[in-house]
Amino acid sequence: MHRVAQAAAVAVVIALLGVLVWKVVNGNGGKIAHQVDNGQIVIAPPFVRSRLDTTGRLGLASLRGKVVVLNFWATWCIPCKQEARTLEAVANEWKSKGVVFVGINEESLTGDAKAFLAKYGVTYPQVKDDGSLEGHYGVIGYPETFFVNRKGMVVPPHIAAPATRQQLDAGIRGAIAS
Amino acid sequence: MRLLVAALTALVLAVPALADNLHPSQRQMEAELVCPTCHEPLDESSSPIAQRIKDYIRKRIAEGATENQIKDELVAQLGPRVLGVPSTHGFDLLAWVIPLGGMGLGFLAVGAGAWAWSRNRSTDEAVLDPGASSLGTHVEKRLDDELARFDG
Repeated sequence: MHRVAQAAAVAVVIALLGVLVWKVVNGNGGKIAHQVDNGQIVIAPPFVRSRLDTTGRLGLASLRGKVVVLNFWATWCIPCKQEARTLEAVANEWKSKGVVFVGINEESLTGDAKAFLAKYGVTYPQVKDDGSLEGHYGVIGYPETFFVNRKGMVVPPHIAAPATRQQLDAGIRGAIAS
Repeated sequence: MRLLVAALTALVLAVPALADNLHPSQRQMEAELVCPTCHEPLDESSSPIAQRIKDYIRKRIAEGATENQIKDELVAQLGPRVLGVPSTHGFDLLAWVIPLGGMGLGFLAVGAGAWAWSRNRSTDEAVLDPGASSLGTHVEKRLDDELARFDG
């Protein structure tokens, strides 16, 4: 009986270790950002989130056929403030060419986020995330920007810094061409 | 009578909890909630978002919001991680399943142990019971004969 209990305890510990190893090897955390950084093209995780800038919800699937620029940001993030007006300007320039910018707000109070959008004159669609989407995309800081092509695939580059106009233009051209 | 005592006890315990919910304190809320960025209790975090959440709690308490209202509002804005509890789906589900499963297995082990112990004990008692002889019919007959001869 004692040996059976010991064997069961060892089996449980081994099983938990196995689960941990599996999670580290196969988990989504960081995978998409990492793969895109390695030049790979991967399926964009679908999402539907509540709109921050207006009522209702927005899903990535509803934007299929367009190039989508996903920008993860937070109100307290200083680089997000630095890039906000650039994003808005580039979004407006590409709007008529089937390119949609979507802001994904993280770790921010709703009132603060709305005040941020008003202060920096951001008008492109915004959604609010509860932290789960950034996990799927492997976001580890703010701001980070991803490019999704017309087929719903995330394509390089992945910008893990305040985006410049040149980086955004190059990313959008790459997504259109892919 | 017992029912009345139980009801009164429950009432005595429930009133402070209800009062806490209706009139939460800043300190209590900061101890119970977690900074979504650094994952530390709010009262130990000085991150920008933690400061904003503290301000928000202060404002809502002043407006008369209950503890549950404030928590619900923060979860709606920042997600369930502000409560500091793991989510109930994906890999995080293990954080719920493993302790509960462990407790279940523990209860089963204790139950099985108690059952085995009580069985052994009743067997031991049966051996010690003078009415339940284990001498065998042959020995018993010999003993009876000896006793009869001794009496005779």
